[in-house]
Amino acid sequence: MKPKIAFFDFTSCEGCQLNKLNFENDLLDILKHVDIVEFREAMDDKADHYDIAFIEGSITSPSCVERIHDIRRRSDVLVALGACAVNGGINAMKNLHPIDEVRETVYGDDKYLFATLPAMAVSAVVKVDHEVRGCPMTQQDFLKLLLALVLGKQPPKYDSPVCLECKLKENECLYNRGMVCLGPITRGGCDAVCPSFGQFCTGCRGILDNPNIDGMLEVLTTHGISLDEAKKRMLLFNSNEVQL
Amino acid sequence: MECFSLLRSDVPALINHLGKYGELIAPHKKGDVSYSFEVVHDSNEVVLDYNRTLLPLKKMFLPPVEKLMDFSLKELSYDKVEVAITPRVFFGVHSYEMQSILRLDHSMLSGSAESNYFRRRQSSRFVGISFTPDEFHFSESVGILIEEMEGFDLFLNEVDGDFQLYVLSDHGQEMLDGFEKMAITEPEVVEGRVFKKKIRYHFNRLPRVFQYAYHSPVWAEVASRCVGCGACTLTCPTCFCFDVQDEVTVTAEDGLRQRSWDSCMLSTFAEVAGGENFREKTINRTRHRLFRKFKYITDEEGLPWCVGCGRCTAFCPAGISLPDIVNELIQEDEKAQYHRSARV
Repeated sequence: MKPKIAFFDFTSCEGCQLNKLNFENDLLDILKHVDIVEFREAMDDKADHYDIAFIEGSITSPSCVERIHDIRRRSDVLVALGACAVNGGINAMKNLHPIDEVRETVYGDDKYLFATLPAMAVSAVVKVDHEVRGCPMTQQDFLKLLLALVLGKQPPKYDSPVCLECKLKENECLYNRGMVCLGPITRGGCDAVCPSFGQFCTGCRGILDNPNIDGMLEVLTTHGISLDEAKKRMLLFNSNEVQL
Repeated sequence: MECFSLLRSDVPALINHLGKYGELIAPHKKGDVSYSFEVVHDSNEVVLDYNRTLLPLKKMFLPPVEKLMDFSLKELSYDKVEVAITPRVFFGVHSYEMQSILRLDHSMLSGSAESNYFRRRQSSRFVGISFTPDEFHFSESVGILIEEMEGFDLFLNEVDGDFQLYVLSDHGQEMLDGFEKMAITEPEVVEGRVFKKKIRYHFNRLPRVFQYAYHSPVWAEVASRCVGCGACTLTCPTCFCFDVQDEVTVTAEDGLRQRSWDSCMLSTFAEVAGGENFREKTINRTRHRLFRKFKYITDEEGLPWCVGCGRCTAFCPAGISLPDIVNELIQEDEKAQYHRSARV
């Protein structure tokens, strides 16, 4: 029996889900391993039970909480897909402001019609078994995890910085070119795709465990940006992870 | 040993001539301000004056990412990748870089030889070139002069803009066969190429400093600035640690095993099954890196395992300088000695 898999979206741009439909070359091979039983962006069917549920987006309202609990109850394995689901992503920037202020800015006079919560990682509400990081998550990453789950292997865990992959490709360091980059403390696995094309790392895959935040702020400010700007860059994707 | 004079304008002709001997690899410009060892396609693009390449020459012997074998899950079989032995000529190599290859030889070939490294190392020839030290080079402090010629087959020493070419081995002689553009000359000693960065002590006094350095307060200060990116070890010419991983293709029928460079500066490097980590804190790792260069192997071999290329300092985003750390250790050691003797 092929495992039944399903995709669900919460607060997000749905880019990670859409990314999966771009697998033209691999899609048929994937379907040899799994049955997709629920996927709003691609089909109408519904199912009662899922072997693997993939969750995109952060949890930002009471109805989200209710729905994610329901999905968790009906799933054997639950995977957070993309930055929003893994740590709140850029949605979590709203957590830096008082929640009432945010609500008023977005909904104005109708604010009482829309209940809202701080933007949370899926793992803040239910147990998450695995994660695929990045904004958006990459197809390669997703495939590796899916294959590992299908084969019963331990999925790959990325705990080395973007700098590692950047150095392996012998890219010219952006710091040597007068730019600042979050590569030294950002979780890799992206093959350093941004620095390879001259774009500094914005930290979309999350910060490494036990980071030296003060040291990193020092690096950023000595390379020419203000402390305020340095903090903003670090918080862009990681408001829920970094305490500044 | 013979010495010839060679005009700078004749160097491209020499490079073309050496290309007949084997695949030619030399420094090229890369990006805005960087250099890299690449295969030569046009001898005019080879850079003669460069400070250092991004990755050291070790990448040509121990590639950053290397496929070790293909395997099939369907047939339960595997094919090991055979590395072909082909003649290669490395042109424009600095003395510290050559010394790093000789140190890697010790690491990879003593005891059970690492076969892929061995096969790449065989029939490799080296043509050295002198350099002008910048603010990061300190190889003199670890006993490697600009004109150190150990390991080279040929060596180009810059004298007043042109070169003196030293022939140092039979292979070097052979590589020059048929190249006519030179006249025999007397070797000259070049003055004025001064190292700006220095370790205060002679390198043979460093083992004593490191003997007492384990609990030095210097490590905590370094760790407070280090962000743990691993750039220092990945660009180090004598670091050789790697990780091995298996990857399965999307059909789940076959896959490959590959190894890639790893770094002891990464927090999970020393993590083992069960989640135990032997070097959990940055302070443990910064110390370990320096001890790998100045203590552990040095105690066995009697040589510093740092060659003074300055890469770890030049490419550190936090600007942490290895010679500065050593100088601070020396200073702390002197203070400690003063207190020890004051008690007598």
